[in-house]
Order: sequence, then structure tokens, then C-alpha cells
Amino acid sequence: MSKISVRLFAVVMLAAMLLSACASITPVAPGTGGLAQSTDTAAPKVEATATAAPKMDATATQSPTKADVAAATATVAAPAPSTGDAKGFVTMSNELYSTWTRNFNPFAPTPLWPTSMGIYEPLMIYNTLKSEMTPWLATAYAWKDSGKTLELKIREGVKFSDGSPMTAKDVLFTFNLLKTPGTNGSAASIMNNEVDSVAAPDDTTFVIKFKTVNSEALYAAVAQVVVSEKAWKDVKDPVTYTNDNPIATGPFTQVTRFDAQFWQLEKNPNYWQPGKPYIQGLRFPAFPGNDQANMAMVNGEVDWGANFIPDIKTTYLDKDKANNHYWFTTTGSSVMLYVNTTMKPFDNPDVRKALSMAIDRQQIVSAAEFDYTKPADATGLSDEGYKAWKDAGNIQAGAEWVTLNVDKANAMLDKAGLKKGADGTRIAPDGKPMTYELLVVSGWTDWVSSCEMMAQNLKDIGINASVKSLEYNAWYDTVSKGQFTMSIGWSNGGATPYGFYAGQMKTTRSKPVGESAPDNWQRYTNKDADKLLDAFTAETDPAKQKEIMTQIQAIFVKEAPAIPLFPGPDWYEYSTKNFTGFPGADNPLYVGAPFNITGLMLMTNIKPK
Amino acid sequence: MKYLLKQMGLYLVAAWAALTLNFLLPRAMPGDPVMSLISRMRGQIKPEQIASIKAAFGFTDGPLWQQYLQYLNAVFHGDFGISISSYPVKVSDIISTGLFWTILLGVVSLLISFIVGNLLGVFITWRRGGVADTILPGLLTFMGSFPYFWLALVMLFLFAFKLGWFPLRHAYADELSPAFTWTFIQSVLVHMVLPAGSVVLVSVGGWMMTMRSTMVGVLSEDYIVMAEAKGLPQRMVMFAYAMRNAILPNITQFGMSLGFILSGQLLTEMVFSYPGLGFYLVKAVNTQDYSLMQALFLMITLAVLVANFIVDLLYVRLDPRVRAG
Repeated sequence: MSKISVRLFAVVMLAAMLLSACASITPVAPGTGGLAQSTDTAAPKVEATATAAPKMDATATQSPTKADVAAATATVAAPAPSTGDAKGFVTMSNELYSTWTRNFNPFAPTPLWPTSMGIYEPLMIYNTLKSEMTPWLATAYAWKDSGKTLELKIREGVKFSDGSPMTAKDVLFTFNLLKTPGTNGSAASIMNNEVDSVAAPDDTTFVIKFKTVNSEALYAAVAQVVVSEKAWKDVKDPVTYTNDNPIATGPFTQVTRFDAQFWQLEKNPNYWQPGKPYIQGLRFPAFPGNDQANMAMVNGEVDWGANFIPDIKTTYLDKDKANNHYWFTTTGSSVMLYVNTTMKPFDNPDVRKALSMAIDRQQIVSAAEFDYTKPADATGLSDEGYKAWKDAGNIQAGAEWVTLNVDKANAMLDKAGLKKGADGTRIAPDGKPMTYELLVVSGWTDWVSSCEMMAQNLKDIGINASVKSLEYNAWYDTVSKGQFTMSIGWSNGGATPYGFYAGQMKTTRSKPVGESAPDNWQRYTNKDADKLLDAFTAETDPAKQKEIMTQIQAIFVKEAPAIPLFPGPDWYEYSTKNFTGFPGADNPLYVGAPFNITGLMLMTNIKPK
Repeated sequence: MKYLLKQMGLYLVAAWAALTLNFLLPRAMPGDPVMSLISRMRGQIKPEQIASIKAAFGFTDGPLWQQYLQYLNAVFHGDFGISISSYPVKVSDIISTGLFWTILLGVVSLLISFIVGNLLGVFITWRRGGVADTILPGLLTFMGSFPYFWLALVMLFLFAFKLGWFPLRHAYADELSPAFTWTFIQSVLVHMVLPAGSVVLVSVGGWMMTMRSTMVGVLSEDYIVMAEAKGLPQRMVMFAYAMRNAILPNITQFGMSLGFILSGQLLTEMVFSYPGLGFYLVKAVNTQDYSLMQALFLMITLAVLVANFIVDLLYVRLDPRVRAG
């Protein structure tokens, strides 16, 4: 190329830069335009279950970096003028993406939020906070045939967004569709394993016949979202369909804009709840990371968020005391310390309890978790999610081994025959010093600092633990195969504590070391617990269920199969600047976190100011 | 011509090696994508479903060579399959969302930095010992030695968050839809100032210093003295004689940089929420999304190869010695 053209090009480029710099003031109206999201890249979008898995990873991936610190000390500079057309749009920040890819298929593993909690709707919503079932597309349920048949009454007058009516036939179609291999959905597992047959005898009745009595299946069944038979019957492959323009029953169904960096969802013209939703729609600006999302939150651009914000009081609340709020409910599942029970001396419950007594939970909760949660009790159940199930007697019985008591812990280890060696480290039964690696996922900063504190705590009882950060996949591989000595980890959630305890103690959930198991990483099994857990699912009477659950809890408290640390908080922030009606600490109706199914209640009930 | 043919042969071998490595490396990572998907669902998938999921994702447990043949076949048909992390979105759809913005931002910032850096290099060497020659190298090396991530965050915090001069995020204002209008183009330019500016700031020094050091050597060559003695205009000596010869190392570097746009721009895109592909690169690795990873890595390697090939062509044009060889 000639020198003239090179020079010319340089001048053009420089001019463009200058021009753009000068033009900066005009079109930038960050107003209600954009907001963010905050779960991390690997965050599970567990939409279907009521008590979704803890959003611990949100806290985790992005460490509080300089921007957060900066944000903490910043005064809000740019005002956020809301433009006329932005009125009535709630700006969201709950998923982290740099660009959006269109996917509203409720049978896909990770469709965009709120596919399964706003576009499509479930039959019923289990309100974890109140431990009660809220009728939604179904108005009632009943166990028949001594618990082998579940009968659901389907609501009359519900329409899909194209105006066609929703009936029990659509529900039947949806459940049958779940038999397609690879489909995801709350009821997919029961349809493929436990259901004998499904039927829709008339337009308002849907019947599920089970092979055996399984009361837990209720929660999986009613959380299933319903699709339209008309819209889906010609879909060739429901697994790979991206469903770009959903036809659904939810309050928001119309995708009115979809760009790589921003998309917008507007209300369903045929929504079945008269007058609702009160807002025009939801807006989703793309945020690739926590820092970017938090800056928008601090700037007042987000109305409803699920972000991990370090030191939220100064960073977020103080920026607009009248309007900025947060409410981190502890309905998530508990974060646990797992020790491999197939290894000596950790097969001894007293040793596990001694470890637990050495851990300063209050310090971990304050320093690593910013006081967003509280120390766990010995049942391992998160306090707000399972209030109705917890037994005070069991909590009392286990109180000792979840309370910091280094002297007692040392005494218990002495009693277990673990003598201290010359350097103060105890000697394991195999004659080697008790020096172990404590595994954690690298980058999940709150877990990493929790582990560092625990390692320090364990030194006080003569156990030499060193924190080892593994990349997520490597960590999961090691832990799920049971090839570890100590690791921090999550536990199962669910509407009832069944999932939690089955994951901790049930023999069928455990696998030999070396084989990957989705739960029971510590490989603890208990025959009594097996029987009780089976009895629990075979029982449909809530009072009797509670009785059985109390006994299951007692086994956990006595045996300490794993060491509970703290319940996982649900991240939920909201701004009352433009909208009212959010649940919160002063209005604790249901969990407001968008990833909880009760987020659907929130979006149908908030109103513009 | 013979030179070019030889080069092409080399590139073909390199491309095949890259393709094969691209297939093997992700599979050497611990864990497998299905297990990592299941773990992200946290117990929602029953073990019984795993087989059906594997089938749905097209994972065959067949021998590695069989997978390799399938992979080669798919690549030649431009079919990168379905992304596992964003299932069931096609890999090609994901790439198309961000590719344009990544390339736009990358090319613009690279060009600005290359042109400005080289011109500065030429000027300060021409006036060696002048004010600019004293200040600029030190200043720009100083800027360039900041960790990029930190510099970008500070710029974002100061100019976008605190002062509000520039937008906080994205490639254009959210209320606009992409269109070929002045308003939109203006919005794109405004949104590019900080991301491109930060890249230019840290990289311009490098171009300038390379230019300066080669230019110093070139200026003492006999043909420069000869050109000056002939009484050619200063500008002609400066650009056509000195710069043309001094720019060769930078052209090579330019080719390399062009190839690394996709991978190198990751931090810029993350910090400024620029809707490019960098985020998906990280996500693909984190979630062991083989298909997405392969497609992105393939694009990176091919971009490097193609850019280098173009540089080779340019060399033939710029440097007669290569033509002779």
C-alpha cells in the first residue's frame, strides 16, 4: 500500500477517535437501560425446584476486586434519568453473560431466566419460607389409592399467550414429552423412573399413577412447567429446539427485543390473573461479571437483582437509603465440611464431631460471608427453609458439637487414640501424621477464605490441614469420586429435608470410592437411616412425615456424617425507586431471589410507583 | 511464487497440527462435560438419565480415533455442533453473537495503536533528543507496564462511573437497535472510546519503541545519507526510505497481534462489558464445553495462521529480498 493511503487512514482513524470522544455526552442515558446479572459462569440455573441449590457460586467466582472497593467509596455520579418508554420496565441483574443467546426452551438444561419461572409456569409453587403450597396452574392436589395416585385439579380459564386455552390435555402432553431422552424438567426424573402412567380424564383433571408410594414426587410433579400441545406437538426434537418465540401461560411471554447485549420481555396479553402483571415487562442488559453488575446496582440502574455484593451496607444500601434494599434469606442448602468416612480415623463419629468443635463458625460467617448468613446447627438444615421440619430436641442434642470448644475437641481426639506426635500433629491409626489437604474450588473466594480459617482452627487440635484450591471440574471429579480426605462442599436442597438427608446418608446414593456419585461424597451409609428415609417417602400424611423426619434428624445429629458450616443465602436486592410491592425483611411473604420459583410471585405482584 | 507455495505448504501442516491438538487437548482435561453439567444441576439429574443425556449431546463412548474422524468431518463441513454449556444453542449461533464486536474492537484498537505507535516512533527518532523523544518513551513504557486489568478498571471507574463521560458498558446504547444510522454509529464510537483507548494506551508504547530502535539503525544506513544528499524532501526520506525499511519487524508483530485479537481481548471485553466472545472462551473452558472450545480455539489458531500468511504476502511486497529468496 502506498504511503499516501497509510497516512490518510491514520488521519481518518484519529479523527474518528476525536469525534467519538466529543460526542460522548449525548446519547448515553444509562437510565433504565441496562442492568446485569450476577451468578457466575458455572452457576446452576436450577429453576425448577422450589428450594434451589444455594447460589454460593455467585458469591464465589468474582472476588471482591478493586472495582468493588472503589464502588464502596464512590459517590453516585451519573444520574439515571428514566426515559419515557422505560417506564414500567423492571431492569434485572441476575445472570452473568457478555452476550445473550436466545433459548427459551423449558426442557433445555440452561434456558434464559425466566423461562421456567415467568414465561412458563408451574402447576403449583412451593413457598419455602412458609412451607406451604400455593396453587398456580393447578388449584388443588389430592393423594388417592392410598398414596399411589396423585390427582391434580387444573385451573379453568387459563390461556396461553396466543389465546388458546390451557387444559389438562396440555399438562398430559407436557409430562409425556418428558419421556424424550435428554429433556430437562422438574418432573423428568419421576416420569422416567417412578411413574406408572399419566392421564387426563377431563379438561380439569390430571392424574399421575406411581409404581410405589412416593410422597416426595409431589414436589417434583407440581413444579413442572406446562407447555402448549398446539405449539409443541410439531417440534421435531424438543431437546435441541431453542423456542425463540415462546407461547406460554406466564405473566411475561413477548420477547420484544433481542440483541447480543440486551433483551426485553413484555407482558402476556392473555394472562389469566386479571389485571396482572402490573408492570410492562422486564429488561436484561448483559453483564459479564460481578463488578460490572455491581456498578450498575450502585448506580441505581437495577430494580431487581441477585448479585453477590461485598459489604453491601456501605456499597449498596448507603447509596440510596430510602430505596435500596436487600434481603438474603437462608433458605438455600447448607455448606458443609466433608471428611471421607471410608478413611480412618474419620469413620469414627467422635472424631468428626471433634473436628466440628474446633471450627469457629462465627468467625467464618463474619469474615468470609460478610454476615450474610449464620452458623449452622447440628441438623444441617438451613433455618429459614426448613423451619417447620426442625426438631428443637435434636438441635439441643447436637448443640455441643457445633459449638466452638477446642479443649473438649482435643479431649475427644485423645480418647479416640490419636496421640500427638513430637511436632504437635496427631498421629493417625496408620502411623502417619494427620496432615491433610482441604479441597476447595479455586476462585470461589468465600469458600477459600472459609477453608483458610478452618485450616487454622484445625491446627489447634493437632490436625495439619492445608488448603488446596482446585479448578472446578477437577475439584468435582475428585470429590464426587470420594478420592479426598477433606473438602468443603454444598449439600442438597428441596422442598422437604428428604433430599438433604438422602444425599448425606442413604446407601443407594453412595458409590464405591473411584466411582462418581452426585451426592454422598463422604461415602457415609446408615441402615437405620435407609429404612426411615424409605418410610418417609412412603408416607403422605404430613404429621407422620414430620415424626419420621425427626428420627432421621436424630441419626444425623448423633452420627455427624458431615459437618454443617452455614446455610447458603439467596442473593436478592431490590430498589423501590420505581416499583413497590417487593417482599423483604419487613414483608416476608416469600423468597424474592429471582432463581427461586417464588420469583414468579414477585414479578406478578410488583407495581410501578 | 515458489516462496509462496512453500509457505502455503508449511501453513497447511501447521493447520493440521492445530486441528489435531485442538481435538486432543480438551479431552485431556480432568472430568468430562456431562459430569460437569450434572454437577451444575446439583442433584437434579438422576444417574439413570446420564446415558440419555450423553446420547442427546452426541457423545459417543467410541474409540478416540472414531471421535477424531467425526470431528474432522464436522470441521470440514463447518459444523461445530451444539454448545453444551448453552445447550441447545448451536455453537455457530453463539459465535455469531459476539464475533462482529470482538473483531471490530480488536481491529480498531490494533490499527490505532499500530499506526499511532509507528508514526510516533518515526517522529521521535527523526528528532532524536527532542522533547518528545525524552518524554514519550518513558511515559508510554510506564503506562504499558501497568497490569492491563487494573488500568482498565481504573479508567472505567474514573471516566465512566465517577465522571460519567463515557458509558459504563456495552457496544452501543441499549435503547438503540443496530441500524446503519448516524445515531447508532455515533453510539458505537462513543462506547468504543474507553475499551479501545485502554488497549491503545498500554500497547502503543511497544510499537513505538520497536519502531524507534529499528529506525535508529536504519537512519545510519548509507542509502539514507544518499537520499538526503540527493536533496529529496524530508518527508519522503522519512517515510519512503527510513520508515518503509524500519517497519518490517513491526509488520511481523502486527500479524501476530491480529491473530491474537480473539484471545487477547478477553479482559477488555470483561471489564467494559463489551459483547464480544472473550466471555464465552472462559465459559467454554470452565464448563468443558468441547464444541464451543474447539470452535473458538480453531478460530484463534486459524486467525493466527491466516494473519501470518497475509504478513508473508505483505513481506513479499515490502521487502524485495524475500522475493528473490
